[in-house]
Amino acid sequence: MPKNKVLIEISHRWDSYKIKSRLQIKKITQVIKVIRREPRGLIGASIIGIILLCALFSPLIAPFDPNEQDIANRFSVPSSEHLLGTDYIGRDILSRLIYGARAAAIVSICSVGIAVMIGVPLGAIAAYNGGIVDYVVILIFDVIRSFPSVIMILVLAAIFGPSLLNIILILAFTSFPAYGRVARAQTLCMKEEESILAAKSLGATTGRILLHHITPNILSPIIVLAGMDLAVMIMWESALSFLGLGLQPPAASWGIMLKQGYTYIETAPLMIIWPAIVLIITMLGCSLFAEVLRIALNPKERLPNE
Amino acid sequence: MLKYFTKRVLGIIPTLLCVLLFLFSLIYLLPGDPASIMLGPRATPTMVEALNKSLGLDQPVYVRLGHYVWDILHGDLGESVWSKHSVVNLLMSALPYTIALTLSSMGLAAFFGIIMGVLAATHEKTLIDHLITVLSLIAVSIPDFVAACLLMLIFAVRLRFFPVLGGGEEGNIGDQIRHLILPVIALTLGWLGYIARLVRDTTLEILDMDYIKVIKSFGAPMSYIAFKYALKNAIIPVVATIGLGVGKLLGGAVFVELIFNRPGIGKVITDAVFARDLPVVQGGVLIAALLFILANLVADLSYAYFDPRIQYE
Repeated sequence: MPKNKVLIEISHRWDSYKIKSRLQIKKITQVIKVIRREPRGLIGASIIGIILLCALFSPLIAPFDPNEQDIANRFSVPSSEHLLGTDYIGRDILSRLIYGARAAAIVSICSVGIAVMIGVPLGAIAAYNGGIVDYVVILIFDVIRSFPSVIMILVLAAIFGPSLLNIILILAFTSFPAYGRVARAQTLCMKEEESILAAKSLGATTGRILLHHITPNILSPIIVLAGMDLAVMIMWESALSFLGLGLQPPAASWGIMLKQGYTYIETAPLMIIWPAIVLIITMLGCSLFAEVLRIALNPKERLPNE
Repeated sequence: MLKYFTKRVLGIIPTLLCVLLFLFSLIYLLPGDPASIMLGPRATPTMVEALNKSLGLDQPVYVRLGHYVWDILHGDLGESVWSKHSVVNLLMSALPYTIALTLSSMGLAAFFGIIMGVLAATHEKTLIDHLITVLSLIAVSIPDFVAACLLMLIFAVRLRFFPVLGGGEEGNIGDQIRHLILPVIALTLGWLGYIARLVRDTTLEILDMDYIKVIKSFGAPMSYIAFKYALKNAIIPVVATIGLGVGKLLGGAVFVELIFNRPGIGKVITDAVFARDLPVVQGGVLIAALLFILANLVADLSYAYFDPRIQYE
């Protein structure tokens, strides 16, 4: 084949690659469309939205300081002043729930972010290089996954001590193999694509290919996984705080509130009921959202009038 | 089948070795001197030295690693720093409680989950289907520790139907079952919802297949088709997720045992974690990891048995 013909061929393949990445963007707008059409998606998205708003603007929304004590007014039932009542030292439960959203949001967003940042490059590099690198990375993933995650998190939390940063790092550590696996599987398919061959023959370095040509194309399943994981991480933050291995009192966290409610289970049932309801609604919102996301990305389940 | 079997069984050996290595290195991950941390600030130098000696910390690393692996192979997990009980005995006395809890949750979830899933699929887009879908979605969304707290509040503290705390009197089966009911429900909910949804999706897929249409055209009633033909295939994904389920249930058991104060493995591990009783933590985590790896192996093998295509992938 003459030289200029080769170049033309390469540029053709280059174009097909560009069209592909445009398709990815189209896919995302399609997902948003489906979510807007499905009532479940709307409900889920609005629950998540409200929680994010509470997390972002908690000082503006909360009627009281979450740590302001009013001993004379402890265990009070819901009233016009304290909409959801007060806890065992007279703190306003509603305000504490609103500030708890902040702890949940920080922990879940940061830990999922870090897990993606570690897992995706590791998986992509493993799949792209193959051989011994691949074997070692898979072994690391397998070992981390061979512990039931609860027990792994528990032991690590006990070793490194409870603090916000430690919880985030531990949760990221136990969840990054999942992202690594997805990234690896996707990269394995992607690396056989002609667009990658084209980039390679134009002299792109491995790093450039991974960063500019593979990563953007494998992101969409990762986004779904991350979306579902946010709920899991919110649950974990509460669970660890409940055990006393997460945030420490007097911090406002749903898990801590539940734990304190558990202590007063005989006398003040409202202290358990409110945080439990908030946690369940949050999880429900995330499940609904994830369900619609799954439908939107699975063409087999596309709605009939799509 | 035999080839696949050997391949899968041999495949867990590197994982097992890495698990051992991780547990062994736990003691070095502790910041500072392990013996003095375990004993707390009031320990005298002689106590620290004695603990160092009993844990073998005065010997070089490779000797210790060798001893550690050798002891485990001989079924010796050391003794608790505090109570001086053998870790194996501690764990073995706790294991039946955890196994009773997880197995009955798993059985209940599988039984009702499959029935709910098949019912929803055979009545697609009717009231039953919507009801089951909503219920299973809610069940999936309740974290097990929240469910445990709420169940305890409603059925034990308020209504007094069930005892609040403990694992029941030893030897008294009836009492033990009464103590088991609330924890099992708390643990079952999430997994039940998951299985119901899974079975519904696969059954729907199967009911759409040609061979089912053929049976239908012969005039077989729907319920007969669903339970005689579709169910067989719908069980496969349930089997495949048993490994995942055991991990999830073992994890949930930690919280449920703690909340209901049941003397199981999860409670032993958490107590040891808070007491910084390293040998017990190592032993407990080892047992939990072994159960988890084993469950995954069994799930993989039975999956390959039910669906022979897997063996050739």
